[in-house]
Amino acid sequence: MTTVDSIHDHVHHGAHHEEGSYLTPRGGFWSTIWSWATTVDHKKIGVMYLFAVMFMFFLGGMAAIAVRLELLEPVRVVQENLADGTTVTHITGQLFAPAGAESIDAGNQIYNRLFTLHGAIMVFMFIVPSVPASLGNFFLPLMLGAKDVAFPRVNLLSWYIYTTGSIFGIISIIMGGVDTGWTFYTPYSTNTDADHWRVFFMVLAAFVLGFSSILTGLNFVVTTHKLRAPGMGWFDMPLFVWAIYATSIIQVLATPVIGITLLLLLFERLFHIGIFDPGLGGDPVLFQHFFWFYSHPVVYVMILPGMGIISELLAVHARKHIFGYRAIAFSSLGIAAVSFLVWGHHMFTAMGELSSTIFSALTFLVAIPTAIKVFNWIATLYKGSIAINTPMLYALAFLFLFSIGGLTGLPLATLSTDLHLHDSYFVVAHFHYVMMGGTVIAMIGGIHHWWPKMFGKMYNEKVGILGCVLVFVGFNVTFFTQFFLGTQGMPRRYASYVDEFHTLHMISTFGSWIILAGFLTHFFNFVHSLVAGPKAPPNPWGGLTLEWETESPPIEHNFHHEVLVTHGPYDYESVVPPHCDEKDFPLPEGAAS
Amino acid sequence: MTTPSAPPVMNQAQDAVTQAADAAQGAVDAAANAVPPVPPVHPYLDRGGLIHGLFFRNEGHTDTIITTDAMFMLIFWFSAFFFVLLMVLMVYWTIKYRRRPGVAPPRSSAHNTPLEVFWTVVPSSSMLVMFFLGFWGYMNKVVPVGGAMELNVKAQKWDWTITYPDGTQSGQLVELGGRNNIKINVLPEDTDVKLRMSSIDVIHAFWLPDYRTKMDVFPNRYTGYGFHTPKLGPGDDHPEGRYRDHWVFCAEYCGDLHSEMAAIIRIMSREDYEKWLKGQGSTGDPVLDGKKVWQTKCATCHTTDGKDNIGPTWLNMYGEPVEFTDGTSLVVDENYIRESILNPSAKIVKGKQNQMTSFQGNITDEEIENVIAFMKSISEAGKTEGGAETPAEGGEGAPAEGADHEGGEGG
Repeated sequence: MTTVDSIHDHVHHGAHHEEGSYLTPRGGFWSTIWSWATTVDHKKIGVMYLFAVMFMFFLGGMAAIAVRLELLEPVRVVQENLADGTTVTHITGQLFAPAGAESIDAGNQIYNRLFTLHGAIMVFMFIVPSVPASLGNFFLPLMLGAKDVAFPRVNLLSWYIYTTGSIFGIISIIMGGVDTGWTFYTPYSTNTDADHWRVFFMVLAAFVLGFSSILTGLNFVVTTHKLRAPGMGWFDMPLFVWAIYATSIIQVLATPVIGITLLLLLFERLFHIGIFDPGLGGDPVLFQHFFWFYSHPVVYVMILPGMGIISELLAVHARKHIFGYRAIAFSSLGIAAVSFLVWGHHMFTAMGELSSTIFSALTFLVAIPTAIKVFNWIATLYKGSIAINTPMLYALAFLFLFSIGGLTGLPLATLSTDLHLHDSYFVVAHFHYVMMGGTVIAMIGGIHHWWPKMFGKMYNEKVGILGCVLVFVGFNVTFFTQFFLGTQGMPRRYASYVDEFHTLHMISTFGSWIILAGFLTHFFNFVHSLVAGPKAPPNPWGGLTLEWETESPPIEHNFHHEVLVTHGPYDYESVVPPHCDEKDFPLPEGAAS
Repeated sequence: MTTPSAPPVMNQAQDAVTQAADAAQGAVDAAANAVPPVPPVHPYLDRGGLIHGLFFRNEGHTDTIITTDAMFMLIFWFSAFFFVLLMVLMVYWTIKYRRRPGVAPPRSSAHNTPLEVFWTVVPSSSMLVMFFLGFWGYMNKVVPVGGAMELNVKAQKWDWTITYPDGTQSGQLVELGGRNNIKINVLPEDTDVKLRMSSIDVIHAFWLPDYRTKMDVFPNRYTGYGFHTPKLGPGDDHPEGRYRDHWVFCAEYCGDLHSEMAAIIRIMSREDYEKWLKGQGSTGDPVLDGKKVWQTKCATCHTTDGKDNIGPTWLNMYGEPVEFTDGTSLVVDENYIRESILNPSAKIVKGKQNQMTSFQGNITDEEIENVIAFMKSISEAGKTEGGAETPAEGGEGAPAEGADHEGGEGG
C-alpha cells in the first residue's frame, strides 16, 4: 500500500516530542477549520463522526423524552357540564394538543411524527454509524499499527455523504416530519402525506446514508486485510478489530439492498409504478421482505461493534487474557453469516406457516454464538485483577442488560409466544435492551475508556461512575416495565392507551428522566474534562493493544516508528504494558519477562 | 465453573406443556359431553402465581392461552435461571478479584475446550426444544378447528367491522377503559371461532391479547386464525348482565388514530348472544339503520353532536353549505354524501385533511341510503325537507332523535 506516508518513520525514529498531536491547531481559527474540513486523517474524521453522531443521539433522545412525556397520561376526551347547562369538550393527557382542540387527531399526528423521528434518527443517523464510524475510525488503524485507513480520501467522502444524508433528514423534520414509522411500511408510506415532499426527503436521507455505510465498510475491510503491522497475524488482532471487520462485511453486503428498496419506494410514491401498493397490483409484504433483508443484518451492524468494545474493556480493566479468544472472534463472523438468514422473524404475523416455521428455526441459531460470547466474557473475569471504574462498570452493565435483551429474544423467536408478543411493548423493551442496553451502553463505556487517548485529558472518575449508575438504574426503570406492558397487551406506536396500562407507563416515563440525568452528568463531565481535565498519560489503564503505545492524544502519523508486533493484544500475564511501571502492573509468579 | 445441568428444568416444563395440551383436549372433550370443564392448573409453572400475574394479568381458560402461557413461563424460568447464574458469577468474581495495588493476579487459563464445547451444546439443544414446542403451539393457534363459526373482519382506518355468519354487523358502542365509542361484538361462550380478515386501506393487525394471538390484516389477501371462546365463570356476573369482555387492539401502525382502533369481543351465554344478534339486525327504519351504519363504520371520525373530530360533524351538515380546501363550496346533498363515501378525496372540507379512505367494497347501496336518511334526521334543513326519510314523531323515530346527542358516548 502506498497510500500511507512513510517518510517520518526513518527521520523521527526515537524523537518522541518533535511531532505534535493530531489536535494541534495549524495556523489561525479559519485555517484550523479548513484543515479539519479537508482532513484525510482517520483520527480527525473519527472525531468529526463522534460529534455528528452524538448530536444525532441528542436529537433522537429529545424525541424519545417527548414520546415518553406524551405517554405519561392516557389521552382522554372529557365532557364537562357547566353550571349554565352547556357542555364543554376538552382533551386531557395530550401533551401536543393545540389549544382549544376538541379532537385528539392533531395531537396524535404530532406524537406519530415524534416516534418516527426517534426511530429514524436513532437507527439511520445514530446507531448504524455510531461505533464503527467514530471509535472504529479512530482506533481501527491504531490497533492495527497502521498510519491511516486504506483509502483516507474515501473516508472523508463517507463523512460528507453522512452529513448530506443527515441534512436531508433534518430538512424533512423542518418541513413537518414524517409519520410513517422508521420502517416505512407500505402501503401506508406510499400514500401518507401524499401532497408533501417530506416523506421523500426522509427516505432520500436513509438512501444517501447507506452509501456512507458502504464506503466506511469497504474501507475497513481493506484496511484490516492489508494494513496490519508486521508481526500481526489474524489471530493477533484485538477483538474490537474482529468485530468491526465482521460489521463491515455486513455493511458492504446488505446496505445495497436497502438502497434499492428505498429507491423503489420513492418511485412508488412519485410515479405509482405498482410494486408495493396493492391498489396498483403490488404486494406490501414484498416491501417487508426487502426491508428486513437489510434491516435485520443491520441489527448486527449495530451490536457487533458494541460487543467488540466490551471485549476490550473487560480484558484491559480485568487485566486478563480474554477467555476463548477464537470463540469470540469466530462467533462475530458466525453472527454476521446467520444475520442474513433470519429476516423473516420480523414478519411472523404476516407470512404463511411454512416460512414462519423455517425462519423461527433459523432465528434460534443466532442465540448460540451470542450465548457463547456472554459466557466467554463472564469467564474472563475469573481470576482477573478487576479495576472498578466507569468503563468497567459500563462493561458489567452491558453484560447485565444485553443478557436480558438476548434472553427476551427467545419468546420472540418462539412462534407460539411471538404471535402474542409481536408488535407489542415486549418487542419495544427487547430491542431497547439490545440496542441501547447493548450498543449505547458499550459505546458510552468505550468513549470513557478511550477518552484519554482521543483528547489527552482525564475525566472525573467519580462523576463518571455516578452517570453510569444513573443511566443503568434509569434504563431498567424505563424499559423493564415495558416487558410487562407488552405481555399484558399494550401495542407499539400508540399515542394513548386504555386505563389499565397507566401505572406502568408512568413508571416508564419517570425512568426516562433518570436516564436523561445520567447522560447530562456524562456530558458535563466530558466538557469539564476538555476544559480543565488533568493531562492523560499515554497508557492510563495499562492496555496492551497498540493504541496505548503512542502518545495521548496520538501524534499526527500515529506512531513514531514502524510498529513491530511482538506480543498478543491480551498477554497480560507476560508483558508489562507500554509506558507503565511493573510496580503498578505486577506480573504473576514465573512470568516470562 | 459450576453450570448446573439443564435437563431437569426442560423435562419438567415439557411435561407441563404436554399436560396443558392434554388438559385442554380434555376440556374440549368434556364440553362435547356437556360436562362442565375443569380449569387446568399448573402450579409449578406459576400459572396464576405472582410472576405469571405480573406478565399476564388476565387469566385465561382456553387451550391456546394455556399453551402460550405455559411456553412463556417455561422460557421465563429457563432464562431466569441462566441470567441469575451468570450475574451471580459476574458480581462475585468482580468483588473477589477486585484490583489490589501492587498485587499480581493469579495465573489462569485463557480457554478450556471441554467447557467451551459444553456451553455451546447446552444452548443449542435448549434452542431445539424451544423451537419444536413453539412450532407445535403455533400450529394449534393458527389452524382453526373445522366447523368453527366464521367471522368476517374488515379493517379500515381506524375501525373494525365484524360481520357475523348471517350478515349482521355490530353497531353497539360503549364507553370502556376511559374511551368513548368502543364497539361491542358479542360472541357465544364455549364456541370455536374462525376469523377471515382483510383490509380496505393499509396494513392493520387484529390482536386479541386475552387469547394471546394476532395476525396482520392486509389489503390484498385474506388472513385469519381460530380461537375458542371461554365458558363464563362465577366472576363474569355484572350488574348489567353476565358477560366477559376481551380487548381487540390494532397492532400494526396505521396512522393518526392507530391507538384508538380498539374494539371489544364480549362473551355471553348462547341465549344472550342470540338475543343480542337479533337486536343488531335491520329495524326496517332507514334512520335507525343509518344510525347503526354510522356506529359501525363512521363514528371513529364523524360526530353527530357538533363536536370536532377527524372528519366534519354530521350535526346540521345536510342541506347546509360547506366549503372545500380548493376554495369551492356547495350545499350538502345526497350526491355529495354518496361521493364522499365512495370517493372521499374528491372534495376535502376546509380545515380537514385528506384522511378518509374509500368505503367502496365495505358498504352497500342500501347502507349509503340509510346513512343519508340518518344525516337528514339530525339536520334542521333535512328535517324540514320532509319526505319518507323523516322519522315519524313520537314512534320509532324518537329514540333515534334522542340518541343523536348522546350516541357518541352512550350505547
